[in-house]
Amino acid sequence: MGYEAAVQQLLTPTTIPLPQLVWIPAYPLVTFLVLILWGRRLGRFSGWLAGLALACSCGVVLTLANAVFAGYRIVTQWTWLSATNPRWTFGLSVDGLSWVMLVVVTAVGMMITIYSIGYMRDDPRFSRFFAYLSLFCASMLGLVMADHFVLLYMCWELVGLCSYLLISFWFEKPAAAAAGRKAFLTTRIGDTGLFLGILLLAWTAGELRFAYLSLIRHQLQPALLTAASLLIFLGAAGKSAQVPLHVWLPDAMEGPTPVSALIHAATMVAAGVYLVARTLFLFTPESLQVVLAIGLITHLFAGTVALTMTDIKRVLAYSTLSQLGLMMTVLGLGAASLAMFHLATHACFKALLFLAAGSVIHATHQQELAHLGGLRRVMPWTAFLFLIAALSMSGCFPLSGFWSKDAMLLEAWHSRPWLFWTLLVGAMMTAAYIFRLYLRCFEGAAGQTAGRGAHGGHTPASAASGGAGRHESPLVMMLPMSVLALGAVGAGLAGSPWLHQPFFRLLGVTDVHEGIDVFILTSSTAAAAMGIWLAWTVGLKRRVLLPAGLRPLGHRLYELAAHKYYVDEIYERFLINPFLAATRGLAQFDLRVIDGAVNGAGSASVLLSRWKERFDRAVVDRLVNGLASTIRQAGSLLRWIQTGVIQQYLLVIVVAVVVLASVVRR
Amino acid sequence: MSSALFVPLAHALFCLGVYGILTRRHAIGILLSIELILNAAVLNFALFSRLFSHVAAQIFALFIIALAACEAVVGLAIVLSLARTAKTVFADGATLLKG
Repeated sequence: MGYEAAVQQLLTPTTIPLPQLVWIPAYPLVTFLVLILWGRRLGRFSGWLAGLALACSCGVVLTLANAVFAGYRIVTQWTWLSATNPRWTFGLSVDGLSWVMLVVVTAVGMMITIYSIGYMRDDPRFSRFFAYLSLFCASMLGLVMADHFVLLYMCWELVGLCSYLLISFWFEKPAAAAAGRKAFLTTRIGDTGLFLGILLLAWTAGELRFAYLSLIRHQLQPALLTAASLLIFLGAAGKSAQVPLHVWLPDAMEGPTPVSALIHAATMVAAGVYLVARTLFLFTPESLQVVLAIGLITHLFAGTVALTMTDIKRVLAYSTLSQLGLMMTVLGLGAASLAMFHLATHACFKALLFLAAGSVIHATHQQELAHLGGLRRVMPWTAFLFLIAALSMSGCFPLSGFWSKDAMLLEAWHSRPWLFWTLLVGAMMTAAYIFRLYLRCFEGAAGQTAGRGAHGGHTPASAASGGAGRHESPLVMMLPMSVLALGAVGAGLAGSPWLHQPFFRLLGVTDVHEGIDVFILTSSTAAAAMGIWLAWTVGLKRRVLLPAGLRPLGHRLYELAAHKYYVDEIYERFLINPFLAATRGLAQFDLRVIDGAVNGAGSASVLLSRWKERFDRAVVDRLVNGLASTIRQAGSLLRWIQTGVIQQYLLVIVVAVVVLASVVRR
Repeated sequence: MSSALFVPLAHALFCLGVYGILTRRHAIGILLSIELILNAAVLNFALFSRLFSHVAAQIFALFIIALAACEAVVGLAIVLSLARTAKTVFADGATLLKG
């Protein structure tokens, strides 16, 4: 199929051109510019401005709902490079897939921005925080709407930059600075993969628009598609913190909690899932196997680690990893709509969990579970919201998490039964770790307050006012949490059979499973109940369930998980230290060999030039001076002929004339 | 007859002039000696004009007389300026060309 014909096909009757799409990322982008330039003058207002911008974007997104639900694709395009052939036209496009992401990003982003106004109240870089947040939202919206790989990659890097800036927002803390660096470098590995994948596609397909690529994918070599899709998945794995590249996400919790909620739970880390869902047409069965394997490993690995972590935010970070792994697993089955559904519900309840955790941290300046406990009596509303989110995440009927998790379990049951049982174990672990966190945090006896403030997840300024004691958070923080709780309860209904699954129809899925599968329902509920019971008995009451014979093994496994399977240590030992040793060796080489060579060459040339100087003085100068003095002496010899007496000259002339005349005559 | 007499006379005048130029110290004397050389030339022109009946040569003689007058004017001016700048009128005293 020729290029022009393909382009004609892109302009199907289901496409609506709408230049106003640009406004969606433009609102936060303009806000970023305003805040970065005049933020200090705006002061407290800057937070509200950022929230307002996202509200405007959200409004624009919602106006598109009718067209998107009717199956239209809304696009706007502009020429970026006209010198190339074919011309590069960039564009924004909104279809069902990106519309879901747009709603998630703008709505959750708006809630979290408003929450941050309370959370970051005493921060000296208040407006700077909202500037970064706005830039993040703008680039995330651009990423979601990009219809071209290069535009997507630009936004991809921008969200990575914002993530770096926001993780190390409190860069006075060495841990935060190191975490930002780690996140940036680790995701860079994935981004390089994505970049190579894009180059590979550009080289072979010659055009990087998603719509075009999906049309010509059958003309590409399967091996090439596998390579390109695996490289793209490497980028997605870096951004979504899948197993070999997951190490940055737990450390990223050093950033402010709203950032952890927005970027490292709800939106940016989900960008990897979105990318795979968007480019799923490029994935061959072989690369889908890889996606499935990596996703499943991450799901189980992070789930077990989350069971042992003792830092609130780290538990949540590992649970995010685990849930992202679950989404990747489902993508590996080829079910992009299910992954997107879980992404949307996960964004609601995980953001709520993070915000509730932030509320706890804000109130107590503690994030170690050992120092927390019994907080339900002090902050009942936070505890209630946390409980809702935890129930939703465990997959309790009929909250959001139930619908998305059940849909995934059903898909697994229909494709691979072993996968179903594995995911059921994962679901049990999910319920166990999240309820362990809830129970240890909000129920039971109050924790010791020793070492208070030692583990900083709080601003220096709020640490100064730390003596205020434990209290419920202000309204500006509770209100967004309540709205997110509505989402955590009700967002799943969009994909439930009760409402005939509008979500899946939106994503263009036609063969949806109608009705509730009772077997799946009971088994998943049983798994969740089992997990909650485990959390109650082992996590809170600390009863030992294992028989005596298995206890050493259990202890060893616990130690293994508590040390995060020593992944960081292994990287440190086998990647970072050899690398550093190599760099040190190279530095020594530089110092000894190259510097020695350079210095040797320098001193040798000094020596040489000294000899040359001697030669110059002895030979060349003497030659030149000798010549000059010879000529001078010859000149002074001739001088006495020049007497200045004219008559002598005339005499010479006369004699010469006479001689010449006599010669000529002869 | 006349050529046998006047050619040696012209030669003698010329040689006297050259001798005077080379030996006279006084600038005026040198100028006079130059007049002698010019007159020797005029005598030759007149003589050979008569000998070969060639009138044009006599015109040259008249030219040379005019030239001699001019030369005397210029020469005297040079002598005057020499006397002012070099404070001398002797040829061997003015050695401005000495190397």
